[in-house]
Amino acid sequence: MSNATVVVVTSGKGGVGKTTSTAAIASALAKEGYQVCAVDFDVGLRNLDLIMGAERRVVFDLVNVVRGEASIKQALVRDKKLDNLFLLPASQTRDKDALTEEGVASVINELRMYFDWVICDSPAGIERGATLAMRYADEAIIVSNPEVSSVRDCDRIIGLLDAKTKLAESGERMPKHLLITRYDVERAKAGDMLATDDVVDILSVPLIGVVPESKDVLKASNVGVPVTVSDENSPAAKAYTEATRRLLGENIPVTIPEEKKSLLGKFFKGRAA
Amino acid sequence: MKFKGKSFIAIVLTPEPPFPDWFKEIDRIIARSPGFFIDRPIILDVRGSKIPIDELEELLAGLTERSVRVMGIDGVAGTRLKPGMPPSFSGGRLASDVDVPDPSGEADKKSNGTSETVSGGKTSAKGDGKPEKPGSEAPKTNGKSKGDGGETDSDTLSGPTGLADGSSIVITEPVRSGQSILHPDGDVTVIGSVSSGAEIIAGGSIHVYGALRGRALAGVSGKDSARIFCSKLDAELVSINGLYKVADDFDGTLRNAPAQIRFENETLVFEELT
Repeated sequence: MSNATVVVVTSGKGGVGKTTSTAAIASALAKEGYQVCAVDFDVGLRNLDLIMGAERRVVFDLVNVVRGEASIKQALVRDKKLDNLFLLPASQTRDKDALTEEGVASVINELRMYFDWVICDSPAGIERGATLAMRYADEAIIVSNPEVSSVRDCDRIIGLLDAKTKLAESGERMPKHLLITRYDVERAKAGDMLATDDVVDILSVPLIGVVPESKDVLKASNVGVPVTVSDENSPAAKAYTEATRRLLGENIPVTIPEEKKSLLGKFFKGRAA
Repeated sequence: MKFKGKSFIAIVLTPEPPFPDWFKEIDRIIARSPGFFIDRPIILDVRGSKIPIDELEELLAGLTERSVRVMGIDGVAGTRLKPGMPPSFSGGRLASDVDVPDPSGEADKKSNGTSETVSGGKTSAKGDGKPEKPGSEAPKTNGKSKGDGGETDSDTLSGPTGLADGSSIVITEPVRSGQSILHPDGDVTVIGSVSSGAEIIAGGSIHVYGALRGRALAGVSGKDSARIFCSKLDAELVSINGLYKVADDFDGTLRNAPAQIRFENETLVFEELT
């Protein structure tokens, strides 16, 4: 039984929302009833445990498992709210050189046996940590902010996904999904950001969702509950849930965040007598 | 102060023992085209041969006798060289082989490609041109992909034509940032976009059916007639036969328009494709 889908969440650039997106999508998948494991590959700078509110229950970590010092079952941390969501935390005291290719391969292969979805949170950069995180993935979610440097770094990462992964080496194409995060409605209106269409055009990867910049996301991170669990009705949570449904293969249109019109505004629009 | 960058194709001579025989080959080339080695940058490549300095001295003397002036030596540490010897030279990127011209005196033709100043840019290039020997193996194509170079270098070749002889390659997916397509022998066609931070280096023309946002260097084997075509011009840098233009110097009206770029009278001509 190993029909799990391994998804890498990656971006090249730091601070675009990889970890937040990993937590949100993993939770959304778990809420759909799948067995989900989120793996933090950011060895040395681990954050996923904080975002998922599991930092006080970490005993063993990815490096321990890779080195055979602990079993996967010992290292997995179960989510407090969702029974079918697990976290494999990164080590904070080691660095990325502690990961070996064979070790990562055996961890991923074992996780494939227990879960339906394995979501890997890639570290920033294009070095060892990031390449190992993507190495054994079946699909990739490319996280980009609507600004030029982030888009260019994503482009670089897409190039690596098509060259340095097991899937690419076996001659197949890795399915890729573009997730635009921190989309600021105000700034989009003022033309200060790249338009969604431009980002999609530059990267030529199908869009899976557009997540608005929102205080809900920040709040959710601070309390350690992914936004898709803490505040289901917030625009950001809705965007992540929508992205997750598209990841599951549903064919639904991508909602581009817009400024909310007040109810009164809607009713009285252009109706002044 | 500004430094101009210029790239030349250097002829790389690789001496093969026994040297008297090797010198006979050189003599034969000189006899056939006396101008072949004149005014050309020449590099002596002795990598891997662990040549004693005395023998190297003899070699250099032999070459000087034949009026072949060596500008640098590749493969010997600078500290081992005697005073008066050409300096040690390393690095460089391989280019296509240099053909020995017909005896019709074509070697006198000079058309060294010049490159415009690229601010802060270093230009270095070295060609691997082993003179073709009568009855020797078929000309090799040497080309190493450069990887993530931030450095601009391009190869230009003066003299003999017929290097880019029509072999062309087609890339059917977008060329991503950081990727480099190197094809010194002919045309490169890309079906898709060339991203910012990517580069295409072609001996012949470059065709991009998509947006050209990265660098395109056409005609690097000395082909003035090479052109660059794209459906949407948003390039960082374009070059034909070593003549560069960076995005800042482009004519703004063609931005994002379908365009072609060609080489004419030592300038790059930009035209909208209609």
